[in-house]
Amino acid sequence: MTGVVDVQQSAVPAAPHRGNGNGPVPPFERIVADYGPLISRIAMSYEADPSLREDLTQQIFLAVWQALPSFRSDSSLKTFIARVAQNRSISFVTKQVRQPRLAELPEKLEADTLNPEESAIEVNERELLLEATRRLPLPQRQVIILVLEGFDYSEIAEMLDIAPNALALRLSRAKAALKSMLEQRQ
Amino acid sequence: MTDFDLDRLGDVWRQQLDPAEMERLQRTAAAVGRRARWAQILDILAGAAASVVVIFLVWTNPHFETFLLGGAAILVLLVSNVRLRKLRQVELRSLTGSTEDMLEQSINRLETTLKYKRFSLIAIGPALVVGFLLAWAAGANPGVLVAPALRLVWRGTTFAVLAGVVVYLVFAIRRERRELQRLRAMRESYRLEGESSAS
Repeated sequence: MTGVVDVQQSAVPAAPHRGNGNGPVPPFERIVADYGPLISRIAMSYEADPSLREDLTQQIFLAVWQALPSFRSDSSLKTFIARVAQNRSISFVTKQVRQPRLAELPEKLEADTLNPEESAIEVNERELLLEATRRLPLPQRQVIILVLEGFDYSEIAEMLDIAPNALALRLSRAKAALKSMLEQRQ
Repeated sequence: MTDFDLDRLGDVWRQQLDPAEMERLQRTAAAVGRRARWAQILDILAGAAASVVVIFLVWTNPHFETFLLGGAAILVLLVSNVRLRKLRQVELRSLTGSTEDMLEQSINRLETTLKYKRFSLIAIGPALVVGFLLAWAAGANPGVLVAPALRLVWRGTTFAVLAGVVVYLVFAIRRERRELQRLRAMRESYRLEGESSAS
């Protein structure tokens, strides 16, 4: 497992949303600052077309805004947002007449700390990864995205509402498919 | 990327967004939040305004008929509000629940919509016949429609609207049928994935 956990959990600032019971939820602006990149990556992994992706991103933000009052603290906010984002992305994809386009470089992926050469390698690597992820069947894509986002097994199993052994099997298939696609692209 | 290490791929995946990209994302989210807040405010204001108008009309015309009409209008407002809230709750449940549940709900919803649209498409034929009969009856009585030119405009408009509705329904049904196929295929892929995990 990745071992990367919720690095973006934020402190609770003033004027929070009211959660459904167990304590306040950070305001929307704070959530965007903390989880915007997560939402953006999830949108990228479901939609390659930049204008449609913008549309999808807006729909995810709206869905999060609407769903926020129903958030309960029995799972982390990151888990909640990832679930809403994935569900909205899947329903968005089903509404598209054409199949999702495969190869397109998302704009401005590079980290600003890298030099141009490193940056180009990283962008190329990330582009390949995104492209391969978009080609996975949906059940496998969901698992891989959540693993890459740093969620642990129990969180993923809970989010997808499946047993841990079913998750392990799905993940091993997804890894095999991803590996084969990445190797073909080398 | 020859070594398949998910930890390393995770690091590549979670690269920081460019500051300009992050700023754009925040602007998008702020605009979405603003629109959603305004929609909420307008919703409340529209309900309140409609209620005030009904109350004013009843207040200034205190007759049994206006009481009845006003009560009916308030009831319609209440019922549509409750219905809207229920629809939003269903939508919310599908967003925050499991993907398979969401797909199931979407399939059910789309099947119902398709049935309704197919029925509407079929019902246009009999509706046209009834419409022609009514028009014929009106034509038999010259006092109903004033001038032949007006009658022509009226018939032309009716025909254009009906043709528009038919075209819209045909395209909507085709689009929704394709969406239903995609949803069913997705549900099937989840089912297969689940079955092979269980075996």
